[in-house]
Amino acid sequence: MKGYRDIAGDGGSRVLEQVAEQRTRITDGLAAVRHLVAVGSGKGGVGKSTLTLHLAGALRARGLRVAILDADFNGPSQARMAGIQDAVFVPGSHKVSLPKTRNGIAVFSMGSVIPESAALEFESAAPGDSHTWRATREFALLTEILGSFEWGELDLLMFDLPPGAERTVQYADFLGPRTSFLLVTIPSEVSRGVVARSVAALAKGRNRVLGYVENMSGYYCRDCNAIKPLFDSPMPSDLGIPCLGTVPFDPELARHCDSGIPLAEAPSTPVLRALENVAQQLLESLAASAHDSRELRRPGAESSR
Amino acid sequence: MKFLCVPCDSPMKIQTVGPPERGSLSIVYSCPECGYEIAMLTNAYETQVVQSLGVRIGPADASPAGASAKAGCPFAAMIPTTDGADGETTSAPTGETISVRWTSGAEARLANIPEFVRPMARTGIEKFARDKGALEVNEEILDAAREFFGM
Repeated sequence: MKGYRDIAGDGGSRVLEQVAEQRTRITDGLAAVRHLVAVGSGKGGVGKSTLTLHLAGALRARGLRVAILDADFNGPSQARMAGIQDAVFVPGSHKVSLPKTRNGIAVFSMGSVIPESAALEFESAAPGDSHTWRATREFALLTEILGSFEWGELDLLMFDLPPGAERTVQYADFLGPRTSFLLVTIPSEVSRGVVARSVAALAKGRNRVLGYVENMSGYYCRDCNAIKPLFDSPMPSDLGIPCLGTVPFDPELARHCDSGIPLAEAPSTPVLRALENVAQQLLESLAASAHDSRELRRPGAESSR
Repeated sequence: MKFLCVPCDSPMKIQTVGPPERGSLSIVYSCPECGYEIAMLTNAYETQVVQSLGVRIGPADASPAGASAKAGCPFAAMIPTTDGADGETTSAPTGETISVRWTSGAEARLANIPEFVRPMARTGIEKFARDKGALEVNEEILDAAREFFGM
């Protein structure tokens, strides 16, 4: 009797082929994107979204073409922070145009689609059992977004990931080895402990972890024009990955985020200079990563390492 | 999932796919050798897995089932409060109804975009057209909207 692999096709639905076509559409749509960077943590509330937007702003100020995909479908915040809550999606000849911030960062966020007074819901044949299918559904949504919007020629596409170490790994699996990871922590051992779990989980896969950023590393007092301590962590544990910089908390920047005002329109402060430094470190790390990739592709390079 | 006719040792082919009914799909397979037919009846979990993958069940030339068989958008529940989702008419601030027609070319472009953003795209573009004094959305209006919204 024939076995599964003796039979070509599945009788007509072509389910595997359809999934492969979805992946091809994503690959084609991102072909002109130079770097894919996922900003994650594992820990919630450490400022992933804020840092993503501000880093994108710092990179944009250098003339780079940058886009953000807010992959936190259940808690999207980029739409408000980027000032695109009322964006209109306009169809092009084949794909949908992305709205842009005032400083030219293309952003997709479910916050432009669903009002903040509502939660993301899906029609379901198995209501009340969403634990059995919800994650799959959300990745199908991500597939549709990646395949349907015009990402075009970009220097960086940044993914603003949801919290959860296991979610971070799921995104790594989904996005594939082209995507590098930047992790965010705050100077508390609780946060560093969760980020350490994400580092350990990502180490089992093929994605490069560029390093981490310590956010809320003190706070910027405008009255004193000085950085003051926010957390008491004299002996921080080693995460085993490079630190790409520290960024102090600045209530003024938080106000900018709530109002959707771009970073470029904020006055220069030590916090902005810290963000610019992280952007520089990120670019250097990506350049080194690209160099390593070329080395690995060079015949014989792998064996000589 | 594949089905094999054991007496013929021949893979079975999909004949018909019934639309989801109370969470169940009815998929009829037949053996191309002997013509024997079976039906696979999915439970709600199995139906939902298919829907969650975003794939269609059934021959490519048949009307879609599974993920796309339900009337309307599979993500429709995501957008609980969208105005003008399916209409060519929207209400002006004064309460007066203003009709905005879509040309076939503009409709074709709208059909290319994901269903979950289509209602809000339609609403926003119709508002843009009305603001421009246009009562018809054509491809020129779409291009103008792209430029206006900074895309």
